[in-house]
Amino acid sequence: MKRTPLYNIHMESSGRMVDFAGFAMPVFYTSIIEEHMIIRSSAGLFDVSHMGEITVKGDSAALFLSRLIPTSMSKLEPGKGMYTLFCFENGGVIDDLFIFMINEKSYYLVVNASTVDKDFAWMQNHIIPGVEIENISDSTAKIDIQGPKSAMVLNKIFDKKKIDNLKRFHFYFDDFTGTEIMISNTGYTGERGYELFIENSKAESLWERLMLEGAEYGIKPAGLGARDTLRLEACYSLYGHEINEQINPLEANLGWLINSDKEYIGRSVLENLKKNGSEYEQFCLELTGRGVLHEGYKVLHNGEEIGCITSGIYSPLFKKGLALIRVKRGVLSIGDKAEVQIRDKGIEGEIVKRPFYKFNG
Amino acid sequence: MSNPDRGMNVPDDLKYRENHQWIKMIDDITGICGITDFAQDSLGDITFVEFINNIIGSENPEDEKIAIIESPKDSFDVYSMVSGKILEINRLLEDSPELLNSDPYGDGWIFKIEIEDAMVLEDLLEPDEYLETILPDDFI
Repeated sequence: MKRTPLYNIHMESSGRMVDFAGFAMPVFYTSIIEEHMIIRSSAGLFDVSHMGEITVKGDSAALFLSRLIPTSMSKLEPGKGMYTLFCFENGGVIDDLFIFMINEKSYYLVVNASTVDKDFAWMQNHIIPGVEIENISDSTAKIDIQGPKSAMVLNKIFDKKKIDNLKRFHFYFDDFTGTEIMISNTGYTGERGYELFIENSKAESLWERLMLEGAEYGIKPAGLGARDTLRLEACYSLYGHEINEQINPLEANLGWLINSDKEYIGRSVLENLKKNGSEYEQFCLELTGRGVLHEGYKVLHNGEEIGCITSGIYSPLFKKGLALIRVKRGVLSIGDKAEVQIRDKGIEGEIVKRPFYKFNG
Repeated sequence: MSNPDRGMNVPDDLKYRENHQWIKMIDDITGICGITDFAQDSLGDITFVEFINNIIGSENPEDEKIAIIESPKDSFDVYSMVSGKILEINRLLEDSPELLNSDPYGDGWIFKIEIEDAMVLEDLLEPDEYLETILPDDFI
């Protein structure tokens, strides 16, 4: 199993390690609920160094990327990032990713750990003259600091003015003990937060410094367990669950990413889906009966199976079962009751407005 | 090794199974059962306990499911451990599943069973034998 540069710190912090995308990653340190709640109320740190980073450089970099994504690049400007997708010709999702625009000829992509090789191969297969791509995942560490107090922690280490003025989805480069660090105002928790990218050799000292400066706010390391419960409360998709090669973006409420007027792979299928709707759609379900929701559980309406859960959690914040469900389009509306088949029982749930937890910037 | 004591409390006066359950005999034929410290520690915050319907008074073989325990990370099926009749279940756990984390050998007990044949106790693991099953591979 691969290790991130923070492996030893996870061991020292009693991290409970699991195999995630081939990496030994902490699922929690002390408690998923505690780690979740500290991020909702103060600040927490994630090691997400397993994630993939790919640089795209050259005169044709923008043209190259515009051919791979359904989202208009006009949203981007130097110092800004955006969320988007790679899709197949048939609309199935290869990966979801973030593109940070450094300048017209240089972009920085952040992709999922389990898909980085697939993404890189896909990009290589569609490479055009005037573009160079590089997979820098193995040499790049990524630490996310998330929570309402995260800016206060960063202010003690980095350029306070820059941090305070950094808008959502924007990023800049700073210096950490002589090494360049990229800091973006982004995250995957529904809270204000930042993602920090730095070379592996500085990962430990950066982590320790963040823990030290965050101590007065009760900062805690948080594992992948809390990352999952936080993102689900905020209704963010997780690749391999809400979206995958067989599920198109419309079925995961990601139709808003389809807005490019350029020629890109999958355009005709995706535009058609956006216009005419997909076979399935996504809803948020709150469990009203007793039980715990898991991926794959069947969802029924008036006794008829209409789909299934793509991700389910026990919400530490709302203290109830929450799930994203993928169901046949046109059956459910907000406020409807639906049943979840939990083992041999049908347990009642309610379709609620998304998201469960509104972004708290 | 991070914290060698974590999840490793294995009391001397109990018997165990490899599936991380314990039984404490309170007389010759009556035992109280629960999950081990290692089990609760591995699961993390326990948020849900559900007993199988109509389990009280039922006669069960040793591999009968008695309850389901869930944490945000995982779920855990609790079995009867030994053949016998379920006398009582700890209903408190339904509203306070966290008792399984805070006191797995005390207030977090799960069910009381009248065992069919005291001889089967010989097949269960002694504390040191159980400890061997959870060391070292399960523990990074």
